[in-house]
Amino acid sequence: MRFDTVIIGGGLAGMACGIRLAEAGRRCAIISQGQSALHFSSGSFDLLGKMPDGSDVEDPLAGIAALERTDPGHPYAVMGAKRCEKYALAAPELLRAAGIPVSGDCRRNHFRITPMGRAKATWLTIDGYLTAEAPDRLPFRKVCIANVEGFLDFYPEFIAEEFRKYDIECTFASVNLPDLEQIRRNPSEMRSANIARVFDHERNLEALAAQVRDAAAACDALILPAIIGLNRNDSLEVLRAKIPTPLYLLPTLPPSIPGIRAQQALQHRFRALGGEYFLGDSVQHAEYGAGCVRAVFTANHGDISFEADHFVLASGSFFSRGLVATPDRIVEPVFGADTVYTPDRSQWYTLRFFDRQNYQAFGVRTDAALHVVREGRAIGNLYGAGAGLAGFHPVQEGCGAGVSLLSAFYVADEILNSKWP
Amino acid sequence: MNNTYDVIIIGGGATGAGIARDCSMRGVKALLLERSDIATGATGRNHGLLHSGARYAVTDRESAEECIRENMILRRIAAHCVEETDGLFITLPEDGLEYQARFVEACRTAGIRADILDPEEARRLEPAANPALIGAVRVPDGAVDPFRLTSSNILDARAHGAEIRTYAEVRELLREQNRIVGVRVYDHLTHGEENYYAQVVVNAGGIWGHGIAAKAGIVVNMLPAKGALLIFGHRVNRMVLNRCRKPADADILVPGDTISLIGTTSSKIPFDQIDNMNITPDEVDILLREGEKLAPQLATTRILRAYAGVRPLVASDDDPSGRTVSRGIVLLDHATRDGMEGFITITGGKLMTYRLMAEWATDLICKKIGNPEKCRTAEIPLPGSTEKREEVEKKISRKPLAQRRSAISRHGDLATRIDSGDSLKNSLVCECEEVSIGEVEYAMEHLSVNNLVDLRRRTRIGMGTCQGELCACRAAGLMGRRDAVCARKAKADLVSFLNERWKGMQPIAWGDTLRESEYTTWIYESVCGLSDEKTAAK
Amino acid sequence: MNTQQNTVSENNFEQCIKCTVCTVYCPVAAVNPDYPGPKQAGPDGERLRLKRPDFFDAALKYCMNCKRCEVACPSNVRIGDIIQAARIKYGPQRNTSPRNFVLANTDLVGTLATPFAPIVNTAVALKPVRLVMDKVMGIDHRRIFPKYAHGTFTSWYRKHAAAAQEAFPRQVSYFHGCYVNYNNPQLGKDLIRIMNALGYGVRLLDREKCCGVALISNGLYKQARRQAETNLASIRTAVNDRKMDVITTSSTCTFTLRDEYPHLLELRNEDVRDHIELATRYLYRLLQKNRGRLKFKDTTPLRVAYHTPCHMEKMGWAYYSIELLRMIPGVEVIVLDSQCCGIAGTYGFKKENYRTSQAVGEPLFRQIEASDADLVATDCETCKWQIEMSTSKRCEHPLSILASRLA
Repeated sequence: MRFDTVIIGGGLAGMACGIRLAEAGRRCAIISQGQSALHFSSGSFDLLGKMPDGSDVEDPLAGIAALERTDPGHPYAVMGAKRCEKYALAAPELLRAAGIPVSGDCRRNHFRITPMGRAKATWLTIDGYLTAEAPDRLPFRKVCIANVEGFLDFYPEFIAEEFRKYDIECTFASVNLPDLEQIRRNPSEMRSANIARVFDHERNLEALAAQVRDAAAACDALILPAIIGLNRNDSLEVLRAKIPTPLYLLPTLPPSIPGIRAQQALQHRFRALGGEYFLGDSVQHAEYGAGCVRAVFTANHGDISFEADHFVLASGSFFSRGLVATPDRIVEPVFGADTVYTPDRSQWYTLRFFDRQNYQAFGVRTDAALHVVREGRAIGNLYGAGAGLAGFHPVQEGCGAGVSLLSAFYVADEILNSKWP
Repeated sequence: MNNTYDVIIIGGGATGAGIARDCSMRGVKALLLERSDIATGATGRNHGLLHSGARYAVTDRESAEECIRENMILRRIAAHCVEETDGLFITLPEDGLEYQARFVEACRTAGIRADILDPEEARRLEPAANPALIGAVRVPDGAVDPFRLTSSNILDARAHGAEIRTYAEVRELLREQNRIVGVRVYDHLTHGEENYYAQVVVNAGGIWGHGIAAKAGIVVNMLPAKGALLIFGHRVNRMVLNRCRKPADADILVPGDTISLIGTTSSKIPFDQIDNMNITPDEVDILLREGEKLAPQLATTRILRAYAGVRPLVASDDDPSGRTVSRGIVLLDHATRDGMEGFITITGGKLMTYRLMAEWATDLICKKIGNPEKCRTAEIPLPGSTEKREEVEKKISRKPLAQRRSAISRHGDLATRIDSGDSLKNSLVCECEEVSIGEVEYAMEHLSVNNLVDLRRRTRIGMGTCQGELCACRAAGLMGRRDAVCARKAKADLVSFLNERWKGMQPIAWGDTLRESEYTTWIYESVCGLSDEKTAAK
Repeated sequence: MNTQQNTVSENNFEQCIKCTVCTVYCPVAAVNPDYPGPKQAGPDGERLRLKRPDFFDAALKYCMNCKRCEVACPSNVRIGDIIQAARIKYGPQRNTSPRNFVLANTDLVGTLATPFAPIVNTAVALKPVRLVMDKVMGIDHRRIFPKYAHGTFTSWYRKHAAAAQEAFPRQVSYFHGCYVNYNNPQLGKDLIRIMNALGYGVRLLDREKCCGVALISNGLYKQARRQAETNLASIRTAVNDRKMDVITTSSTCTFTLRDEYPHLLELRNEDVRDHIELATRYLYRLLQKNRGRLKFKDTTPLRVAYHTPCHMEKMGWAYYSIELLRMIPGVEVIVLDSQCCGIAGTYGFKKENYRTSQAVGEPLFRQIEASDADLVATDCETCKWQIEMSTSKRCEHPLSILASRLA
């Protein structure tokens, strides 16, 4: 098989890179080993929430400019504040064009509300999800938090506990339907996606509206867990039309409906642009020629290789096995690329779970153009993008989605501007 | 409030719980005080091996005889805590067969059945055993769940009128001249202090008993020996595997419930380290290296976590390894030993002999207070072990299969008390270990659960492959749903629980365990936005 | 030193980190609450079964073995294999239901039926007969059995084709499968026509038995293993002695021969596995390497909607069939979202599964109806039946479409 670019990894970075290239008319293939981490998304995309020293970031672009001075190993610093800004301005349009309606400003963080009721600084949030300009400036004084009976991955009491800190009055509502009873017969499958499937049926969506309407009547807002709209786009609109109280969604524990929706939307967009998406396959080795990658070989396709001018390594971090940790080293399994890590395992972690763990900043070594480095030498047609890059703490710094999107854009530009072949 | 008892027992390990049960069954009014949760010391931090005594047969005949007697008793009275797996003592080429003959002879002398097996037969019986073995002896070893055992003793003690207080730490022994008359207790839940009085105070604090005795100015010379263990992700072996040689590091592999355990290392540690059980990379290496010799497939089996306990050994010589110290039971009457009335210490021994230790201690208590009743703990089954498994199965046939079987494993006939009235109660909180909402509610209501970590000890929640990745939040949600105070506490609890799980994962956090940790971080820190006050303060 | 260096557990189920992705993509769990779902039935259940075999849950039979959980899994856990292997290891060892025997023994039933095809076809299509089959055997009365051909593919081949095929300079072996042999010999003839046009002769294996997929799913493991051994012996003769690759026109047969044999029946096939492949992939390779060209006559516009069968999705090979279709002048290809049609071989024929089966396929049927396609194409025969039973469209094999437009 022959493509212009082959992208390894079908998560946010791989997908965004593929879409950018396909939009420019390049023929791309994405090879993805199973579904991506988008399935656990919060419904928001972070750009920069905190500086490495733990201080809060109000203006992510200003924060990135500061990073460029203080933290040269950070992917944002490697790409440079100028280009980060360019891509941060362009990224929302890519998401919207794929059918992911997001709002937000890369010059000013807003706050998303978590399933625990906490407020977390973020960049873009999918429309319909509850956000606030500041943690104490929620758009209501009296709120009704509804949940589906027996749904264990969303707890209204946890949310209420946080809201009450800001003197917000909280009431609760519980939803039940015969079709939900059906799912509950199975002791483990009362999950967000299965519930959302129930509400994809018009009559159940209507019943949902009817059940929460009255409970929310005396409130200025109604909150529902993200358990609607798995296979349809209009669920929220339908509910909003039937419920007079303003309605907001909150994410749940995995699987994440907004994440699944986003993944599917990106995939459709990529395919619609002529991209080929190979799910459930893994790249096993590569063939090189003249210091460049010539082709990669996968488990499914055996001797039929994927040849391309350019390759993008967007295979993620540990979770998706873009990085593999053994007791004494960190390995990038596809190309055997050089990795950045501390050799002494006792330095990889600290004892407290929520501490800044060093292992989270380990990653693939790249040069200034994000070429992947192997055996000390940058490979001219192989780029790294996304969570597998080294030098940042995606969770603590609240920059995981930002690094994925911006590095994808950066790499796509590098490829489009490259003189190779 | 009446703060006076016949006896106060300090320590909620198996021994303390056993004493509480024995005392209350004999009509002695008992109060048990535990500074943390039950079974948090050495009781819950060992192999969970139902010793046949074979391991001690050559070196310590007295212990061996105690073990086999108690082994047979526990099979009777604590059937739901015991798995009758039998054990193999295998001889590897590097060990040589010389020890085997001595071993078998010693077992038989101690009254332990020991059958020499043909190597082929041994390999067939236990496919996980190192196939290079040149000899094997089958003995009546088994597995015993220390949490269930302790919890069951507590339940029975309470049913007979004993009072049990967890998170109640003894700060002071109240003394009148040369007599201990009571204790001053700090309550970690209410943050209040209270005095309790009794005719006899029993020090059953395990290694912490050293410090308790010191409060009375008494020296009990103990030797803290740390033993580290590894938990593997699933049940690797069917039978307990031992090396047929002089006891050494990491030579026991025990199958227990859904997992297997290899241990232990042994290293002397100073007293100021007994609450600080961190596992070093060296300890992990020793356990793996030796473990692989018992069962080669450990090399390619996922490790779930590492942990360590401290043996409460009473020093009899100065062997630094702590291994040749007698594991025999030590019962000290401080009246005769130190001239201090109303105070006794029970220590030494092992999980296997907890009941016998309790019997000895209770005999002494009864003697002191003039109670003529005889011990009946060896005859009367513990709660949970009074009915046959098959009968219990029939009674709760409405529960889905895996849940039903898991609940019976954990609670024996008490599984019938778990609400399984509707599908809601049968919804799973912990998917790895099949813990339902009904079971969580039962544990919260009847098994003195104060937080998520306690809940784990009662139900195995979070003890599966994912170490609490999904269930921690769900269980916290169930605990927090009563009111805002509960919700706040449950959130804080969730953080402690994640810290506790990570502590055990961190020493072996590579491969899939690191993947799991990264994923857990995404969920709790990123999606949920949880944070740890102590981390934030740094 | 400690040997946990490669860190990958050999116990595949332990690679599961409970991310729940598989549960989103299981078509059965989505519609049937009696099925525990892939995570519980697979890795979670396996751990419990290793503790005690009596944790085996008979509800594992509801798994359709579509392997969509495996495709979705980011951890490479062979969830479907774990579930099917558990059925083999812990499930009932003898399957006495006559219904399952009939459904599983495609060879035997086909051999008996083909000589009397006109009578059998008429009979099994009759309502009263279908009602009796429903009541007595538990085969759902709404199911229409695929028609049997009058005379098998192999007997046609021996009489009319064998001699000519030997004359070609290059040769390939054909594992025709039960469907071509008993129901649709035309597909086999189409393949021969295409291969001949490229200069390849098509040969049969010395002995071919049903690949065994239906035997496995109906619990007849011993028989499945026996048939697999026969097939592997024949394939080895073709590959090793005659230096011929073995191609098939059924995605499920291909998948079974390549992957289910080693994973479920524990028969090693790595020596020949790479030589067993799907005809469309084989053709793709030939055409890519410019080993011959196909000339087309009929170029009338045709909108074809391609449906990716589950085992095709698992192999990742839909690309080849789609590319081949795209190559045909006049053909416009619409690629349907890859989702299960619900039939899963014999699964959907069983009375107790009928509702699940149709509910699973529903989204696909809707997409097909809305697609405005003239024709549906797919590489799996049972998907074809299901689509034709459940939608208004005809469904053909990509190679039949290709052959029909050759010059």
